[in-house]
Amino acid sequence: MGGKPKAYPPPLGSCRPKGEAMQEERFPGYKWLPYLLVAPSIAVIVIFLVVPFVQSVRGSFFISTPFGTKTIYVGLRNYIRLFSSPDYQNSILTTLAFSAFVIIIGLSVSLGIAQLLNQKIRGLGFYQVALIWTYALSPAIAGVIWASMFAPATGLVPYIVSKLSGGYVLNWMTNGRIALLVVVAAATWKMLGYNIVFLLAGLQNVPKALMEAARVDGAGPWKAFWRITFPMLSPTTTFLLFVNMLYAFFQVFGLIDIMTRGGPGNATEILVYKLYRDGFIHLNTGSASAQSFVIFFVISIGAIIQLRVATRKAIYAR
Amino acid sequence: MLKELKTKLTGFFRLKNRINLCLKHKWVLVGLAVLLSIPTVSVFAAEKVEITWWHAMSGSRLKVVDAVVESFNATHPDIELKPLFTGTYAETLTKFIASYRTGTAPNLIQVYEVGTQTMIDSEAILPVYQIPGMLGEAWDWAQYVIPITNYYSVEGNLWSMPFNSSSAMLYYNKDIFRAAGLDPNKPPTTWKEMEEYGEQILASGVVDHVYSGGWPGWIWEQTLGYHNHLYADNDNGRAGLAKKVVFNDDFGHMVFETWIRLHDKGIYIYGGPEYAANSAFKAGRIAMLIQSTSSLAGILKASEFEVGTSFLPRFEGYPVGNSLVGGGSLWVTKGKSEEELRAVWEFLKYLGQTEIAIQWHKGTGYFPVTNAALKALLDEGWFSNQTYLTAFLEILSGRRDTAAATGARLGPFVAMREHFRAALEKAIAGDLSPKEALDEAAEKMNQLLKDYAELYGG
Repeated sequence: MGGKPKAYPPPLGSCRPKGEAMQEERFPGYKWLPYLLVAPSIAVIVIFLVVPFVQSVRGSFFISTPFGTKTIYVGLRNYIRLFSSPDYQNSILTTLAFSAFVIIIGLSVSLGIAQLLNQKIRGLGFYQVALIWTYALSPAIAGVIWASMFAPATGLVPYIVSKLSGGYVLNWMTNGRIALLVVVAAATWKMLGYNIVFLLAGLQNVPKALMEAARVDGAGPWKAFWRITFPMLSPTTTFLLFVNMLYAFFQVFGLIDIMTRGGPGNATEILVYKLYRDGFIHLNTGSASAQSFVIFFVISIGAIIQLRVATRKAIYAR
Repeated sequence: MLKELKTKLTGFFRLKNRINLCLKHKWVLVGLAVLLSIPTVSVFAAEKVEITWWHAMSGSRLKVVDAVVESFNATHPDIELKPLFTGTYAETLTKFIASYRTGTAPNLIQVYEVGTQTMIDSEAILPVYQIPGMLGEAWDWAQYVIPITNYYSVEGNLWSMPFNSSSAMLYYNKDIFRAAGLDPNKPPTTWKEMEEYGEQILASGVVDHVYSGGWPGWIWEQTLGYHNHLYADNDNGRAGLAKKVVFNDDFGHMVFETWIRLHDKGIYIYGGPEYAANSAFKAGRIAMLIQSTSSLAGILKASEFEVGTSFLPRFEGYPVGNSLVGGGSLWVTKGKSEEELRAVWEFLKYLGQTEIAIQWHKGTGYFPVTNAALKALLDEGWFSNQTYLTAFLEILSGRRDTAAATGARLGPFVAMREHFRAALEKAIAGDLSPKEALDEAAEKMNQLLKDYAELYGG
């Protein structure tokens, strides 16, 4: 989970015709060699993913002292406490609002920019690099940049706002809604480069012939976009939807930690940040384990829906 | 390009053939595996006793730590002390817990003051007061500055070594005071004056906001201790595990409402959880700052105006307590060899040497931990600079005989501070009334205390 795909994803669900590679043994005489060769990967997955997962599921039924000197079985209490806690409900809502904003705003803005970049204009290379480089920034640096831009007493943005509005104090450290918007803006901005690269590649794959045929048939640019470009982009969009969801759930952690630490109040405390605070700062491992299972569950559901619905609708064949 | 690829591919196939060749001799493979699984044994016998120390001192403080360690290693040829910066206080504690549970803990670890009860209950450490006895030595604990040792003592016995202690004080910009028609040598001493001065400064139009601060949860503790008011029951958790907080009474509500009122008047501007407000003060955009004394060096260095310092403002007519000790202290891991323990003890004694304590203080702004170092600094005239003097007088001027003035010691303290910060933020944003916000925080803190007591059977 959370790994960054290096290359364009292969069409999901498609695979090589059966029998072609299996007919002939690849390692004649060494029946166990293939297993030996994949063993390290399997071992890594088991040791670093499966075992910790099982441990944290088990841990979610206990409360324990930070040093593990005492552990008490509490059944489902950690879960019951979580779901009856207004803070956790608030955190779920915040996460949903946050990821919806990041995904919707992020993808539509990126699509618009990618469309603009997908034409022959002077200085195209410069624009492309200028728009894509944000992805190369580490979350910590992006967080510091945005935090200092919006610093209530010394930042540039509150200064401009105050001058323009005649004294309105834009203080995101005390206004939860503004804080959430600022973090959303920073997170979207940070992911812009990544989205643009993929969408641009997708756009460049749309066959010119189709567009020309549409034009000949009298379709305007708007119609051509919705009827041809957008459907042709659907594999890319599906993939980006999933990656952006993971991003909004997990990878924005660094930004939040640097910018707001979940505050003000609990206004920007998304699920993964609450988990971190409860588990690693407040040393409440039982509750944190329960939370990690909840997040796992939510993400799995999201992934299944996306794979089921979106892949079916996406058009892979040309 | 294509050619390059071709040569690469040929090379790859050649390699594959070679591997195949190897595989023909299965024993080679087995032999390789056996070789790899033999743990590498160090052939060099250690002559020096190696001890490790994990700390959370970054930036300019790290340089001072390194200098102290270097001089310690140079003067103790039989000991090799290895310091390691392990991130923030919270991260350092988390790493220590993980390492202790896997048996790879360092000998010495720096823990922030809110982690004190966690460490006492950890069963992972050796209280420092027991160490001299174990090594057959006698040690005079009275040489350390008393409010600091009080904070880290259980029933009069010191559990961790005083190291980096600070307190909170009021910083003010004398230039802004002058511009607003105030006497630059008369900082506000009460919250009533904070309000009056604030209104005057606002009316003068020199700045948009008058004061800000950092570490809201800690300033809250400071304010309670400063008025000899308990934070939690069971003598602030010092007579036994605390069961509930006691700050949401008339006094607490009055303090909290005052802060929110000053905010609503535009006098106070919220400055975030830690040091974000410092930049506003250094840039001259606010007139006053309530912050840790350990920010002094940085503020003096970066400010282009005359900086004044003063005690925290008081609420008139309430009892006098003391401002509290914050920062961190050093804890000794138990279960290490006597040889290592002796080396750790050497280092702890070394930190208390007058010239080292002075070096530490001058380099970082933390208190000198021993009375001798304090006296040497006084004799030297270091405190003739009023700004430096304030901080020390502050923790030494109040009463020291009550638990309220010593500060609270609570298990889930870190989380409790966060609840206070959230309450302040909610009240400032107007989501809750000051009273509702403080009561809500108190209720959440009580639940945390209850959970802690359940785990530790208190």
